[in-house]
Amino acid sequence: MEDHKNLDSKIYTVSELNSNIRKNLEYSYSDIWLEGEVSNFYFPDKKHMYFDLKDEKSKIRVVMFHNNNRNLLFDIEEGLHILVSGYISVYEKRGEYQMIALNARPVGRGSLLLAFEHLKEKLEKKGYFDSKYKKNIPIIPGRIGIATSIGGAVIKDIISVLERRFKNFHLVLRDVNVQGITSSDEICSAIDDLSEYGVDVIILARGGGSLEDLWAFNTEKLADKIFNCAVPVISAVGHETDYTISDFVADKRAATPSVAGEIVILNKAEAAANLKEINKKIRNLIKSKISIYKREVDFLINRRVFRRPGILLDRFNQAAGEVRIRLIEYIKKIIKTKEETVSEYYRRVDEKNILKKVYTFKMKIDNIDIKMISSIKNHLRSQKNRLKQMLKELQDKNPVAVLSRGFALIYKDKVDKNIKGIDEVKIDQKVRIMLGDGVLKARIFDKIYKKLELGYKNEN
Amino acid sequence: MKIEKMSFEQSIDKLEEIVKELENENISLEESMEKFEAGIKLSSNCLKKLNEAEGKIEKLTRSKDGKLVTGELDLEKEK
Repeated sequence: MEDHKNLDSKIYTVSELNSNIRKNLEYSYSDIWLEGEVSNFYFPDKKHMYFDLKDEKSKIRVVMFHNNNRNLLFDIEEGLHILVSGYISVYEKRGEYQMIALNARPVGRGSLLLAFEHLKEKLEKKGYFDSKYKKNIPIIPGRIGIATSIGGAVIKDIISVLERRFKNFHLVLRDVNVQGITSSDEICSAIDDLSEYGVDVIILARGGGSLEDLWAFNTEKLADKIFNCAVPVISAVGHETDYTISDFVADKRAATPSVAGEIVILNKAEAAANLKEINKKIRNLIKSKISIYKREVDFLINRRVFRRPGILLDRFNQAAGEVRIRLIEYIKKIIKTKEETVSEYYRRVDEKNILKKVYTFKMKIDNIDIKMISSIKNHLRSQKNRLKQMLKELQDKNPVAVLSRGFALIYKDKVDKNIKGIDEVKIDQKVRIMLGDGVLKARIFDKIYKKLELGYKNEN
Repeated sequence: MKIEKMSFEQSIDKLEEIVKELENENISLEESMEKFEAGIKLSSNCLKKLNEAEGKIEKLTRSKDGKLVTGELDLEKEK
């Protein structure tokens, strides 16, 4: 018992010793990196994380306080191979030493892939990738929001694509770090800011890199932000072969940032050409519609009844004049209405060659009008001549007219039994003599035979 | 919906609809003329939309007092 009575030795209290060791350890291991496999992971109330990091032979206790673990870009889970940075300290109450982790990241492609797959599966189950939630990307966004690093080549690529496609685009850029511990949070607040400022679409862009480099786009926080964003989001991260969680959640994935430039706005020249094409198509369609209608009008004015209205007049000889006027008015009105309608449509289509067509069409109508009127006139004239001729013939043959000229008709009792020779009557027989203005009753008292020469009538 | 208030997408959809309707031989000339005039109006509306955006590039930042501010972006200067 005397050996330990060394004057130089200091007697510590437990607290003193633990405190000293803590200070020594914290000084010696103030900023270290430690790699190992996670075991005994414990995360009560999602506040502080407690776990062991182990290798084949040994293990050490690790604590990661809420302050530090809330920025983690991945979920720490059992069996995951990770790298943590921090310092060594002592939990003085129990005299246990432990590592205080300030940051952590998965190690090796295997671990990253595991974390990636884990989150992907989780979000897929939540329906984050469902096509029913995908919003349409506007064809011509008024304002294009973009979150990317201002220093990178990516933004220049996108701008040059946009300039090629649509000269007068409006871009609102939000500069963010696309790599590092704060990158995911920065991208999240960029989405908020761009939405608040008012953009029609948001592009998240970053150039290619390793799975680790792209990790900012593989966090659950960003996935939530994209999923809940009211503005459509295009994820344009890495190369064509790189896939990130944001690619799956976004409304549209662009294989590369340049492709995003193509997706986000239409090609103005192409669109204008298409519009011109549609415009032409519509004009041609309406032109053919009008020409069909024009043919109908042509058919109508070429109908026999309009071309030769005399057919109608034949039946109304008495009222021919009146009918003629009415008919002509009627036909004129019909033609005028049709003509006006057609001219009106042509005017509305408003094309030079159409106007020309209308002009010739109108000429044709005018010509038809003139032809028709002269046809009616001719018809009436010939009718009138015919009537005159008939009247004359009738006049020549009418016995009444002969009587008026001084000749007489002698008959027995019936008018049709007229006496043509003197042998037909006897002396004392009663006869009737018809003159132009009446009938004389007479009796035959004598007969004198005398043959009249034919020339006698002519001499008279 | 008024043609002037239609988006580019809606206008294009409507235009395609009009082409289909005009291709139908059974519609009257009167109707055709209405469709035709709407079509011409729609296509000029689309052309207007193609040209109405104001071409510019802005940089969006949040100032210390929490307000969003924009300024013209000069990529050469930024580097």
